[in-house]
Amino acid sequence: MTTADVVIIGAGVLGASAASRLARDGHRVVVLERGAPGREGSGTTAGNLHVQAVHTRRPGQAVPLDSARFTPLQRAASDLWQDVEDDLDASVELRRSGGFTVAETPAQVRELHDKQAWEHAAGITTEILDGDAARAALPQLGPSVAAATWCPLDGYANPLKVTPAYLADAVRHGAELVPFAPVTGVARDGGGWRVTAGARQVVAPVVIDVAGPWLHRIAALAGITLDLAPVAIQMHATVRSPAGLPHLVQHIGEGLSVKQVSAGNLLVGGGWPARRLDLDGRSDAGVDSMVGNLALAVRILPFVRGLRLLRAWAGPLAATPDEMPVIGEVPGSPGFLVAGGTYAFTFAPLWAETLRRLVAGAEPPVDISDLGPERLMQDLPEKKR
Amino acid sequence: MTRHEERDVVIVGGGPAGLAAARRLAAAGLRVTVLDEQPELGGQYFRRPAPEVARVWGEHRPEGRRLVEAVRAAGVECRTGHLVWGVDDDGRTLLVSDPAEHPVRLRGRYVIVATGAYERPFPFPGWQLPGVTTPGFAQHLAAADHTPIGERVLLAGSGPFLLPVACSLLALGVNVAGIAEAGHPYRPGLRALGAVRHPARLRELAGYAARLARARVPLWQDTVVVRADGGERVTSVTLAATAAPTRAVRTVAVDALCVGYGFRPQSDLARMLGCAVRTDPATGDATPVLTASGRSTRDDVYVIGEAAGIGGAPIAAARGLTAALDILAREGHDVPAAELRRPARAGRRLERFKKLTDALYPAPAELARLLPATLPDAATLCRCEAVTAGEVRRVARTTAGDVNATKAWTRAGMGPCQGRECGFAVSAVARTSPDVFPSRLPVRPVPVTTLLEMARTEATRTEVAPTEATRAGAARPEAARPEPVGPEPAGEGEAA
Repeated sequence: MTTADVVIIGAGVLGASAASRLARDGHRVVVLERGAPGREGSGTTAGNLHVQAVHTRRPGQAVPLDSARFTPLQRAASDLWQDVEDDLDASVELRRSGGFTVAETPAQVRELHDKQAWEHAAGITTEILDGDAARAALPQLGPSVAAATWCPLDGYANPLKVTPAYLADAVRHGAELVPFAPVTGVARDGGGWRVTAGARQVVAPVVIDVAGPWLHRIAALAGITLDLAPVAIQMHATVRSPAGLPHLVQHIGEGLSVKQVSAGNLLVGGGWPARRLDLDGRSDAGVDSMVGNLALAVRILPFVRGLRLLRAWAGPLAATPDEMPVIGEVPGSPGFLVAGGTYAFTFAPLWAETLRRLVAGAEPPVDISDLGPERLMQDLPEKKR
Repeated sequence: MTRHEERDVVIVGGGPAGLAAARRLAAAGLRVTVLDEQPELGGQYFRRPAPEVARVWGEHRPEGRRLVEAVRAAGVECRTGHLVWGVDDDGRTLLVSDPAEHPVRLRGRYVIVATGAYERPFPFPGWQLPGVTTPGFAQHLAAADHTPIGERVLLAGSGPFLLPVACSLLALGVNVAGIAEAGHPYRPGLRALGAVRHPARLRELAGYAARLARARVPLWQDTVVVRADGGERVTSVTLAATAAPTRAVRTVAVDALCVGYGFRPQSDLARMLGCAVRTDPATGDATPVLTASGRSTRDDVYVIGEAAGIGGAPIAAARGLTAALDILAREGHDVPAAELRRPARAGRRLERFKKLTDALYPAPAELARLLPATLPDAATLCRCEAVTAGEVRRVARTTAGDVNATKAWTRAGMGPCQGRECGFAVSAVARTSPDVFPSRLPVRPVPVTTLLEMARTEATRTEVAPTEATRAGAARPEAARPEPVGPEPAGEGEAA
C-alpha cells in the first residue's frame, strides 16, 4: 500500500492535464489507467478546438446542449490553449488558424445569427459571411454553402500528442503514471479513499474520477450512482492530400467537421454514430455512418471527392444525458471529484485548472455551480442505465 | 442497407485454396462467386503471366491455368479485379469495389476467406532504397512479366521460399550474389531426417538446392542483412551473424536486394467478419480459430489457405477442398465417405511435413526476439510515416503491451499500407509481440467516389427491385454483429 495526495483514475486528456497541474502544485499524484494512456476517447477524438458556439446535434443526439451556457467556458478554454505548447515545452501541433461553420438553408443561416449573439456576449469574435464571401475566403467550399460563421480562434491540436505531453509534464513534476492498471475498488479509508488496482493499493484524501465513458463505473465502485450516457462515434481519415485546407470546417445543421492535419491527411467527423459501443472491448466504425459522413463532406467541400478514404475508427464519447459537462465534488463524498462529459478535449486545460483549484480549496476559474455531479444523481430509478 | 447480390457461397481470393473450394462447390450445383483483386485468377502461387509474356516465354506453372479453366467450366462466377474492402453493418455483406471502382455488395450464405498471406519484411538501415524489395515481389515480376528484379541480386531473410525465388532469378540469367538465411536449416541433422517420410516434398526443396549449388550460389546461414547502402539505388549490402548483428562480416555488391522472413496470414477480413483469432504460439501471428474443416467461430464463415496459417500451396488446396466438403455435407449433399477422407488424410500428411520444415527454420516468434537487435534507433521502421525504431522504443516504455497505442503515439502503421509492411517489425521492436494492429475499415484505401455511389444507391434503392435484395434489404440491420454460433472454437485441431 502506498499513500498519495491525489489519485487520478483515467489517463485520458483530463487525467493527464489534471495530473500535470496538480503535480506542479507539489501534490504527490498517482495516475491509474486501465489500458494504455490516452487510447480511448482522448485518442480517438477529432482534436478540434471549438471556440465558436457549437450548435450542432450529432446524428442521433437526443437533446441539444445549452450553447449559450457553453460559450463562456469555450472562451476561457481558448485563452488557456494559447499557452499549452510553451507551458508544456512540447509540440502538440497546435494550430489556431480559425474555422468556418457553414449553413445551407435559410433556417440554418438564422441559426448562425442566433449563435453570434451568444458568441459576442462571451467576448468571442465571429463574423458571418454570405456564401460568396465564404467561398472567397475558403475557395474549397461548395456551391450549397449559403453562409458561414468565421471564428479566427477555432483550431486543432493533435490529440495523440496532447495527452502524452501532459503526462510527460506530470511525470517530470513527480507524478507516477501506472498504465494497464484497471481500478477494481474505491473505498473510504479514514478521512480519505483507498483505491485498488490489481495488486496495487493507494490511499489518498482526494480521488479524481476522470475515467471518461467509464466515469460512472468508477463512481459506482465508491457507491456513487451517476447517470451517464456514453455513446460511440466515429472518425474518418483520408490519404494525405496536397490540397491545403487551412481551416476547420463545420456544419451548423448536420454532423460535420473537416480539417487537414499536419501530416496532410483530412480528418472527417461530426459525431456520426459508430456501429456499436463496446466499453469492454473496441468499438467498431460502421459503414452507414461512413457513407453518410463522407457524402456530406463532399457536398460542403467538393474536392474531397478526389481522395481515398484511408481509415475509419470509432471511440467512446463520455456524454451526459443533458449533453453538458460534469465537474465538481460529489455531494456526500468529500474528496471524490469527477470531471467529464462532452467537449472534454477543448475543455481539458480549463478543467485541469478547475480541478487544481478545487483541490487547493480555491475559487474555480469559471462558474461551475450548475455543472456539478448532483444533477446526474436525480431521478435515478427511471434514468438508470 | 442497400441492395446486394446473394450467392450460396462467396469466396474471397482465387488462389490454390479458393479455387479448390470453388471448383468442388460449383460441381455440386451451388452458386459460387470467386472475388479476386488481381486481374487474373491463380493467386500468388499460380500467378498468370500477362498474355504477351506467356506467348513469348511460355507459362509459369501451367497446372494453374488448367485449374482456372476447370473452375470456370464448373460454372463458378469469377470476378477478377474486385477488391473486398470491408463488411457492411449487418456483419455479413461484403463491400467490394469492381475494376472501375464502382461499389458492389455481395452476400453469401457461406463466406470463404481465402485471402492468402502477406510477406514478412523486417527493416534495416537503407531498406527504403530503390532496388530493395521482397522475394515475393521478385518472384511476381519473374513469373508475371518475365522481368528480373536486378542484374546482381542478393536474397535474404528466412524460410524455404528464398530457394525457388533464387532459381527463378537464375532462370532469367540473373547473377544471384548469394542467399543469406537467418537460421541454419541446410545442415544434415536429426530434425532434417524426419523429412524423408515425405520424399516428394523434400525432392522439391532438394532440387532447388541442387540447382543453386550447380550455379555456385553462395549460401550464408545464421546470417542477416544489417544494412543496405547506395545512392540512387542499392549498391551494397552488409551482412552479419544473426547472433552478433553489430559486427559486420561481409559486404556484397548488388543492384537489387530481396529480404523476407516468410509469410504471415492475411487475417484482416476474417477479423472484420468477427471471426475469433488467437495468437499462434510458434509464429506470434493472429490466426483464425478454426475447426479441422476450416469453419471459423462464425458458423457461416470459413477461412482456408494461407489466411488460415502458413503452409504452402498443397496444404492450401487441401484446406479448400475440406471446407467445400464440409459445406456440402451441411447442405445435405451426398459426399462419398472416401472423398471426405481423402483431403483430410492429405491435409494431415502435409501438416506433418509442414511441421518438419517449420522446425528447420527459425520460428517467426523467435525472429521477433532476435531481429530487433539488428535495428539501430535511427533506422526507419515505418516507411509510410517515416517513424524510426528509436521513436517506437521510446514510447514503448509507456505503451508496452498495446501495439495499437504504440501506433497512436508514433504514427507507425498509420500510412497507406496500414501496417501490412511494418506491423510485424513494430510489434517486435515495441515488444508487444504477439499482437496485431486492429482490423479497420476499409481494409484497403477506397476512393471517396465509391462511397458516394453507395450513398446514391441508398437514396434510389426503391427504384431497383432485385428479387434477392428485397428480402434481406428490407430492414435496417441492428447494430449488433450476429453472435458467433456453432462449434466450440478452441482446441479441436486448428488448420494450422
